[in-house]
Amino acid sequence: MELIKNDDSTWTLSKVSELEHLMLSRLPDSADPTGCEEASDRLYPSPIAPDAEVDDDKSFTLENDWKEFIEPELRSDFRDSLKVVADDLGKSSMTKEGELNQYEFIIPTAHANHWCSALNQARIVIHHRYDLPSEDGLLDMDPNPEKWMATLQSEIYGMLMEFLIKKVLWI
Amino acid sequence: MRHLVSNVEVETTPSPEVDVLDEVTKPWQVMVLNDPVNLMSFVTLILKRIFGYSEEKAVELMLKVHYEGSAVVWTGEREKAELYVQQLQSHQLYAVMEPVD
Repeated sequence: MELIKNDDSTWTLSKVSELEHLMLSRLPDSADPTGCEEASDRLYPSPIAPDAEVDDDKSFTLENDWKEFIEPELRSDFRDSLKVVADDLGKSSMTKEGELNQYEFIIPTAHANHWCSALNQARIVIHHRYDLPSEDGLLDMDPNPEKWMATLQSEIYGMLMEFLIKKVLWI
Repeated sequence: MRHLVSNVEVETTPSPEVDVLDEVTKPWQVMVLNDPVNLMSFVTLILKRIFGYSEEKAVELMLKVHYEGSAVVWTGEREKAELYVQQLQSHQLYAVMEPVD
């Protein structure tokens, strides 16, 4: 997988293998926290620090206001990013490299933040849904195929995020 | 609070304006909590972008989050703290706020 700058404010994500393509095609679904309360709590946390010394009344008011006004905005932002990425993913093209299929995606520079948001959201949901460990590499030998695939998926998303951060978004 | 006026004990309560003033002026701190998922480069980028911090300062804060579990990234008035928490959460950073003691 490599990211190449084009002349028209877009980037080409090329040399995407079958496996990477499969993982990327799962991105919109994988970012959905439905059915995983821990992931929802992490994506939409209370604004008040866990050990903060705040009156119960004030804490209650702030948390309620947050749920009423801020959380819907966050949900809308995350949904918008997933939609943009799903549209970009839908425009992939396939090429042949010898016997192997490879894929290409065009990522407009203006979509890079949406991609990072969607990739990061998916990583958070995957981490909580499959209860992945906190430290890298601990699952290298995990015999559970679902967890192993989830780790691989998360690592591919992390690699693409690093490309986007370093090449496109770094200021 | 109790005062004695001409040998008559009267009870007073603090002015509500004082409470309101204290509530408005009391500083709050915005904290980023450690999260095993967010990439270090992503946290650094977001801190630079939202607060306009230099790369050196953003990296220092990111490392504090990573190694110590949390870092205070900004301190100031409550309304602005809420805005910063919202901005950080919109980038999926684990951001919270609390009043400064």
